[in-house]
Amino acid sequence: MSFSEIYRLKRQLVLMLCTFILVAYGSLSSGGLNAAEPENKELPKDVLNSIMWKSVATDYLLSDKNSNGTIIMNSAIKVVAPKDAEDQLNVPVSVDATAIKNVRKILVVADLNPLPEVLTYEPLNAAARISFRIKVDQGTPVRAAVLDAEGVWHVAGTYLDASGGGCSQPALAYKNDDWVKRLAEVRGKIWRHLGKDQATLRFSIRHPMDTGLADGIPAFYVENLKLTDSAGKILGRLTVHEPVSENPTITVYPFIKQTIDKIQIKGRDNEGNLFKASVPVPVTSTRLQTRK
Amino acid sequence: MDIFRRSLLLNAAVMAAYSALPLRTGHAADFNYQLKASRIADNTYAVIGKLEYFTGHNGGAVVNTAFIETSDGVIVIDTGPSKRYGEQLKKLIRETTGKEIVRVYNTHFHPDHCFGNQLFDVKQIAALPKTISGLKESGEGFSDNFYRLLGDWMRGTELTIPGLPITFSSEKFGDHRLELIALSGHTDADLAILDHKTGVLFAGDLCFLDRTPTTPHADLSQWQASLAQLKKVPHKIILPGHGIADPTDRSIEQTSDYLNWLEKSLIEQARQGKDMIEAAKLEIPQKFEKLKLIKAEIERSVAHLYPKIEQNVLPVISPGGR
Repeated sequence: MSFSEIYRLKRQLVLMLCTFILVAYGSLSSGGLNAAEPENKELPKDVLNSIMWKSVATDYLLSDKNSNGTIIMNSAIKVVAPKDAEDQLNVPVSVDATAIKNVRKILVVADLNPLPEVLTYEPLNAAARISFRIKVDQGTPVRAAVLDAEGVWHVAGTYLDASGGGCSQPALAYKNDDWVKRLAEVRGKIWRHLGKDQATLRFSIRHPMDTGLADGIPAFYVENLKLTDSAGKILGRLTVHEPVSENPTITVYPFIKQTIDKIQIKGRDNEGNLFKASVPVPVTSTRLQTRK
Repeated sequence: MDIFRRSLLLNAAVMAAYSALPLRTGHAADFNYQLKASRIADNTYAVIGKLEYFTGHNGGAVVNTAFIETSDGVIVIDTGPSKRYGEQLKKLIRETTGKEIVRVYNTHFHPDHCFGNQLFDVKQIAALPKTISGLKESGEGFSDNFYRLLGDWMRGTELTIPGLPITFSSEKFGDHRLELIALSGHTDADLAILDHKTGVLFAGDLCFLDRTPTTPHADLSQWQASLAQLKKVPHKIILPGHGIADPTDRSIEQTSDYLNWLEKSLIEQARQGKDMIEAAKLEIPQKFEKLKLIKAEIERSVAHLYPKIEQNVLPVISPGGR
């Protein structure tokens, strides 16, 4: 028996085993496990009429260990994205869930992306607000699901139209030969809010954010980010997924005391590259011009 | 019986699909662009586009094309957004001049200016080398997007790459000596054409008039440099890429003024830490309020320009590298 034959046999065996395990798990979970879960509550009607709503709700919301099984549509959450994606590699999205009490985390999903999960933000000591940019592969609902302390998911979203192709394009980084030298370069700045123990932190991390869907380029993206103030208090945690745009550029609104002089951004990508940067907090506040 | 029923159902489905079509593609069932030649100088005609965005109603005829009648034949400047446009432009040229076409120029690689190319002899279509390479790289993507935006107006349109790279600086047809000015800024390669006989300066999309300039492939400092150069070129009248013919250089000044304001405003937004959605909320100065599509174009320009502007404004905290 040649080596390749043995290899093939081995592969078949592994495949059979996998199938067996899957089938066994399937019958178990459909019979035993599901029965223990709260009786399938009816999902609220999706305001965005997405064909993926049921699977989004099941895969990402009800499966969360902190969910109590309740999902409500809540228009108090503001999800803003352009009606049409001008640049499919850089579609701005902002989520404001400050109207929801005791936000545990904000999950952002683009239903029709090949990889729907965009990011999860836990604003531990920060306002429940975030903005960032995403890649989209076609027109898709973009929704934010906000989990509160009682385990209720509050869901809101918007529809974003696009012509197609954002997720399967290679990163622009590769047009420069020196991209590795500047991988995970962190840029950022903090603006302290006038008269409040709060600030705006806008930062970007140089990273190709490869989805793994472009020919011949494996997935390579920033996975985790942690924000800590100079007193050691964790301000927020982010789990980032492939659809976040190349060179992720993110705004968060941490709560910081007057004594805090730095915010540390610490992160890692899916290949284990670690990076960190300390962004100085200005002593003086700025009156940010806000226009509605 | 069963077969009959099924075919009835199928018919109903097809009918439903067809009756839904006109909604998407606009009401003009005959796909007539109603192109009109306006004389802007001796032997020189402009086909003025609407000051609108591409829709299923206008079929993409939002761009200016032009032609010059010479004793050697006709020179065409830009070919419009689709095969149908190219056909109708060719018919208009025949009716107006009765002469053969001897040269076609593409001012730059944007699809509204060159998707009528397939109606013309490829060997006669001249464009700057970077326009040709840009079209090779992005043309299929433009085409997909145009089919999506314009629907049936695009029927039969095929990407046609210009066959003659412009490596020379002038050409003469009859007694019209044309100076070919290679510039950039609106895109990587923008061709301006000066007709020495009439003093008409065909500026392509380096100049807009009363329609907000678009920036999907723009380099603002190069664009400003090109506008400064155009101002120095001795001319009598400018045909902008979008907007009516301009005898007073208002299109140069307005375009330059707007781009300058846009860049300054976006840098200021980045300095204040605005995200892209907030950055698009600019207070529009009164002098620009009348520019067509200004709000939508600012939003688009933020998508094109803001990531780079922001990278320059945000300080480096950690140099990176692995």
